[in-house]
Amino acid sequence: MEIKLFRPHSLEEALSQRADYGRDALPIAGGQSLLVMLRNKLIDPKVLLDLEPLGELRDLQPRADGISIGAMTTFFDLISSADVHKASPILAEAAAKVGSTAIRNLGTIGGNLCHNEPGADLPPALLALNASVELRSRKGTRKVPLTEFFQGYFETAVEADEILSRVDIPTLPQGACGAYIKHSISPEDLAIAGVAVVLVPDGKNPVSARELRIGLGGVSPVPLRALKAEAALNGRALTDDAIRAAAEIAASEAEPMSDPHSSADYRRKMIKVLVRRALAAAIGGGERNGHGKA
Amino acid sequence: MAKLKLLVNGELHEVEAPETALLLDALREGLGMTGTKRGCETSHCGACTVLLDGIAVHSCVVLAARCDGKQIATVEGLAQDGELNGLQRLFLKHGALQCGYCTPGMLMAATALLRRNPKPTLEEIKVGLDGNLCRCTGYTGIFEAIQACAVGSK
Repeated sequence: MEIKLFRPHSLEEALSQRADYGRDALPIAGGQSLLVMLRNKLIDPKVLLDLEPLGELRDLQPRADGISIGAMTTFFDLISSADVHKASPILAEAAAKVGSTAIRNLGTIGGNLCHNEPGADLPPALLALNASVELRSRKGTRKVPLTEFFQGYFETAVEADEILSRVDIPTLPQGACGAYIKHSISPEDLAIAGVAVVLVPDGKNPVSARELRIGLGGVSPVPLRALKAEAALNGRALTDDAIRAAAEIAASEAEPMSDPHSSADYRRKMIKVLVRRALAAAIGGGERNGHGKA
Repeated sequence: MAKLKLLVNGELHEVEAPETALLLDALREGLGMTGTKRGCETSHCGACTVLLDGIAVHSCVVLAARCDGKQIATVEGLAQDGELNGLQRLFLKHGALQCGYCTPGMLMAATALLRRNPKPTLEEIKVGLDGNLCRCTGYTGIFEAIQACAVGSK
């Protein structure tokens, strides 16, 4: 049967249609992944619920306590926004590493999170930024921390009647720095492993971490925070030995999969390398492949 | 089925297509405009690149219904009065093609890049064309042609 296309005029109308059709009505954001899945018959919706007409979902709002990003904001919007560069540069850095120019022109932050494909670039950065998402339904609005959002390969906390409407990022602590580093065979590929760090240094030499957050992507069924590695370094001097030990811990926290792009073992090894590089890039010394601001 | 109005290269067309038809199919099957090539159909190769309101998109991952009211530019619109445009001539001069299958996409991606950034560095050209694969010439001639076009544009 031919798939129907709904182009709602308001978020309320979209939520109504979502409530009526449930999982049969699949919200389509940028469509850069969804339309490929559809063509390859990996999904079988009765209705595509087009979020593109909802201009209210494509906006960036700097707020007193952080920045609020509409779900339909594209990677290109993120890369070109002075507000994003100011509030959370590693998000702009991660967005610039997504796919190719054409994909960044249309692909969206909301679609990237809801698709939850292993190796996506935004999730590790947004995890390190302590982001949360706003899920709307006809019944109301709920805010879900990103740490609870990802539930399995291509699975998220979005219920059958819900639409992800916004991504909220709290203001970074004073003096925070960071980096997102991705490893892939070709730059436009999904990450074999991606590591984002946000670090609040104490200004001493060697630097100690007043606060440290590490986001991992591509190396587990869901993107995750390397909480044990963070704990091992928090409040400690970031010496080479300490970083090396924490990178080992981060690798042990992941549950990598083997696929045609990489073996699980290789992914685990790459986490160790990337955690070291990301921290070095954040601190501003050593091997640089990112930049120094979170 | 739906009736779609598509403004392609400044000319308004009506095409009947499934509601969720892709822009690539609407152009090729609906309008018979086969300059836009069908490649990987997974948004990797860029053979199907067209401009949507001036930005480069892969038409294999764009709903045709979303293009209603937008300007679509395809490779057929580059030549004027049967004369190749400057960029096309430079592609010839620099040997920027072999089999030619990727060329329409390369031309459109380069057109979008040069419109946004008339004087791109080599690095910026590489980023602008990172969604376009060539499997026979390599990229040197293509980059040279685009650089020459940027210089020529002043």
